[in-house]
Amino acid sequence: MTAGALHATDVGLRLPDGRSLVRNLGFTIEPGEVLALMGQSGSGKSSVLAWLTGTLDTRLQASGRLWLGETRLDVLPTERRRLGLMLQQDYLFPHMSVGDNLLFGLRGGDRTTRARRVEAALADAGLAGMANRDPATLSGGQRARVSLLRTLLSEPCALLLDEPFSRLDTALREQIRAFTWEAANALPVLLVTHDLADVPHGARVLNIGADVPTALAPRPLARGT
Amino acid sequence: MIAIAFVAPLLLGAIGTLLPALGWLPVLAPTDAATEGSWAGFAAIAGDPRFLPAIALTLKTGVFSTGLVLALVTLTLVCVHGTRLWRWVTASLPPLLAVPHAAFAIGLAFLVAPSGWLVRLVSPWPSGWARPPTDWVVPDAGGWSLIAVLVLKETPFLLLAAVAQLRILDVDAALRIGRTLGYAPARCWSRLILPRLWPRVRLTFVIVMVFNLSVVDLAILLGPGSPPTLPVLLLALVNDPGSRAAASAGAVLLAMLVIAVVAAALLLERVAMRVASVRRRSGARGHGLDAGRRVGQGAVLAISLASLVSLAVLPLWSLAARWRFPDALPGEWTTRHWTGRVESLSGPALETVALAVASTVLALVTAVAWLEFERRGRVPRLDWLWYMPLLVPQVSLLFGWQAAALLIGADGNWVTVLHAHWVYALPYVVLILAVPWREHDPGWAQAAAALGAGYWRVLFRIRLPLLARPLCQAAAVAIAVSVAQYLPTLLLGAGRHQTLAIELVTSFGGVDRRVIAVLAVLQSLLPLAAFVLALIYPAWRQRRVGERTERLALQTGTGAR
Repeated sequence: MTAGALHATDVGLRLPDGRSLVRNLGFTIEPGEVLALMGQSGSGKSSVLAWLTGTLDTRLQASGRLWLGETRLDVLPTERRRLGLMLQQDYLFPHMSVGDNLLFGLRGGDRTTRARRVEAALADAGLAGMANRDPATLSGGQRARVSLLRTLLSEPCALLLDEPFSRLDTALREQIRAFTWEAANALPVLLVTHDLADVPHGARVLNIGADVPTALAPRPLARGT
Repeated sequence: MIAIAFVAPLLLGAIGTLLPALGWLPVLAPTDAATEGSWAGFAAIAGDPRFLPAIALTLKTGVFSTGLVLALVTLTLVCVHGTRLWRWVTASLPPLLAVPHAAFAIGLAFLVAPSGWLVRLVSPWPSGWARPPTDWVVPDAGGWSLIAVLVLKETPFLLLAAVAQLRILDVDAALRIGRTLGYAPARCWSRLILPRLWPRVRLTFVIVMVFNLSVVDLAILLGPGSPPTLPVLLLALVNDPGSRAAASAGAVLLAMLVIAVVAAALLLERVAMRVASVRRRSGARGHGLDAGRRVGQGAVLAISLASLVSLAVLPLWSLAARWRFPDALPGEWTTRHWTGRVESLSGPALETVALAVASTVLALVTAVAWLEFERRGRVPRLDWLWYMPLLVPQVSLLFGWQAAALLIGADGNWVTVLHAHWVYALPYVVLILAVPWREHDPGWAQAAAALGAGYWRVLFRIRLPLLARPLCQAAAVAIAVSVAQYLPTLLLGAGRHQTLAIELVTSFGGVDRRVIAVLAVLQSLLPLAAFVLALIYPAWRQRRVGERTERLALQTGTGAR
């Protein structure tokens, strides 16, 4: 396990009535690697993600340990874990412009530097000159890219994706997938999905639908192809 | 017809207040030719030595209490949302809202007075008080008792309005995103949620501010007596025929004062929004401050408990035969304060119930009719109009309305009082019904129409049953509003209609605590019962429909069993 790897052991989740939702889940994701967490609806995929970020519904009982390299994360509050999160919806804040959404994500720097970094990030994503736009005026693909940029500008140490492509139409989905894998290529990435097409080539797949989590074979081709 | 019946008293009220202030309408404000059309009324009120202290006191109690209401709501949202306490706090809102203002004020007085329950609970040990302390009095000269009751009574109202918006704003997702971007929970609230929540509760905040600046019954009960707040001073003046012009001029000045304070608050909002917008771009994440959050939770818990205990002390006093200081509970119990006053209380109780039921039915029917006309494109959306009675000080409106009623000989008429209760209940009914009505899926009606149902059948068999929950909530709120009306009943009823609200306010201070407690409990019972029914009935109905469906499924053999 390398310094920047995301490592979880003995993760267990119980429903309020005591039934077990997830048992003995464990994984290690190295920087630049993608682990796809798959399973049927209600199998607990999104709850695992919520546990990882520290935002699990308080009615659920959870156990397990989470590390990022040598740092134990599960004892830290959400805001100190530095785990970037992307959900099905882009959640661009409607009371902020596109640029302000990105400035909200960006860490550190003086005013001028921050503005410059946001402009550069937008230009890299093919969204140059859109800083002052209202997010409501963007297309679905543009919104998805801004949302990912906002997450990346917060300098996360790992990226957690909860079905981020499921609301996009087929043509756009391919484009945003490629953009995401390229942008997040130095981070450990955990992808929750029920669609195998979302899983990049070369990624490992972990099925939590079974009684005991089952590791499936990685998808055959190298990532980014 | 509905709009005219609603607008006419507002217009007549405005004109009827303004004209006597300028020396016109001599029937109401006897003047001579020299003062007709003059500023004599304004000169008279300005020359009253109580006027400026009354304004200062009104500003102090109104502005301070509204600021505290806003602070307390913000504290509750930031510190309590998402915790176990949150469910408890939100569950306690309906009973706190249901209890009429006057009854609540009396409960609070019985709690925090020197001989009140709080002092009794800590006496003689650990406080050492064998007699009621003399360090404070309720009501106090500084207006703090009035501020306290306004804060405790209006916070649930603004909080409920905010809670209703949280789901629309998807607060949980915003908090989740904000926190994973590295922001502390309080920063997520201040930068992501409050800026979006504020525009949605601004109108409710203004309603609270107008109420706190112009309240009469609570100011009579718990406000200072000398000088009183401006609305109470004006009420004293309006009952003196020689001071009618001064009272009307004062009512106009009160309206202007309220407008100025609301304008200042909105200006402050713009500055705060601009500052917040700049700070949002800084990227400063803030600190977790768990300890601060716990202190906030403790404060909210203490304030919520104080409110609920204020209500609990009333039935205790109403059943106390003997309750000596410093006993924590009555030494002897009795029901004679209830049974011995059945005759004297039945009149006001029946009058209260009649007005509440009639105004609620009228408000529901007219609100549904208007929303139906609106849905069918026959009338425009007039939300701003329905809220007008809540945005104008009652004193400023009712002085003129009373004058108009006097001129046409309608004062003291039951229908006139009912009209006033309807005008004050309708805004709340529209406020509650408008969103569910407008967002109701037209597919249900279309499906019924396709099966051959006509307009009325669709309305009574589809739309109204499906909207039973908001209709029940609106009815409960309308009943609570009507039961609490003091000034409209007093001024337009010309002393001929004794409701429990009037009995309570006039009896406080001069009558035995136990009798006052009986009145307060009695006044609270009807709205509390209405709120309980509003909670139970839709759930019971839903269960009945479920059982019927299950029975049908069993009969036809399509059931799961």
